[in-house]
Amino acid sequence: MGFLKGRLTFRRYRVIDPLPDDFRDRFEEALTDQAFRDPGSVSKGEETVGWVRTDNLLETDFSNRDKWLYTHYLMAGMRIDKKSLPTPLVRAMIEQRIEAWCEENGRARAPASVRSDIRVNIENDLLARTLPTVKMIPFCWNLPEGWLLFENTSDRINDRFRTLFRNSFGVTLEAFTPLDFLVETPELVDPLAAVGMTVMGGGAS
Amino acid sequence: MTESLPHLSTEFFTWLWWASEQGGGRLTVDGEEIILWVDDRLAFRLPSEDASRAVLTGADTARAAEAKAALAAGKVIKEVRLRIQWDDREYGVTLKGARLDVGGLVLPALPEDGDEQDRLMIRMEAIEALWAVLGALYRRFAAVRVADDWHQEVVPGIERWLKGQA
Repeated sequence: MGFLKGRLTFRRYRVIDPLPDDFRDRFEEALTDQAFRDPGSVSKGEETVGWVRTDNLLETDFSNRDKWLYTHYLMAGMRIDKKSLPTPLVRAMIEQRIEAWCEENGRARAPASVRSDIRVNIENDLLARTLPTVKMIPFCWNLPEGWLLFENTSDRINDRFRTLFRNSFGVTLEAFTPLDFLVETPELVDPLAAVGMTVMGGGAS
Repeated sequence: MTESLPHLSTEFFTWLWWASEQGGGRLTVDGEEIILWVDDRLAFRLPSEDASRAVLTGADTARAAEAKAALAAGKVIKEVRLRIQWDDREYGVTLKGARLDVGGLVLPALPEDGDEQDRLMIRMEAIEALWAVLGALYRRFAAVRVADDWHQEVVPGIERWLKGQA
């Protein structure tokens, strides 16, 4: 269960917008509205994203606040499902099916529309029988202090997270930068931001 | 304060490594002494690229000749694994890239009793304590970096250290 045990890997964010007075109700609604839902059917490579509880990635019921609100921390998980197909197998099945079509129809070559239909049918058939790869990535949000840890450092996954977060909670996340450490020493910010790169071993700029 | 300024993080990593070795691992931050050393991982990249060009792992990584050679050759530190101790706490943490992403954070031994809420509070508090120390280290670096001392004393000191003269 995220953040509660083991090693941690995360990117830190600042939550820009203030916390609304009725945040408990609003956030329960936000989590519920954008909860993970099985899409039924997906196309190849398409990702399905939504919120789940961190105690079990199958749990999307947020009505019990004890399961996601821990005093002043909000903890939930972003679930990402993605179905992908083994390309060599798909290619081989398509070729086999095209050859069969050509034989049945006495043609040397299948038209593009037929090839396309065959490919789509095979992919849809395989996707329906394929389990997705499933990821659940927890985040923990310190509500009064306005910072948040997200247990992943991939830029692509973090982009998905920021988008889902903004769409759900209506607030913006800004990734932490070390300059945020200088809140207590603001006089250092501008001079530090202005320095160039030092070339070690070959003089300094 | 939205800029990442990637060269500052690489210089912060280099300064941390150098400063920790100058003081035998002991550094004073906000009036409190901590012990800090580069642990078992250093990743280097070229200043113009994001991809790692050299990754050193294992015991004594910081003392490996290849580590200082990479810096002397113009590479910069992309990731550094640190051990940090103060009071009775010891952390292991890898700092990565311009945003100081955190990897493989090992927290000090913490009480295991209590419910989920208690454990979350304790662990988040431990993370915040580490973050406060990292912040204090960064402020110290920032003060040095913008001062004349950076070019007059620190950079020459780092260059001597890279050559094994200090």
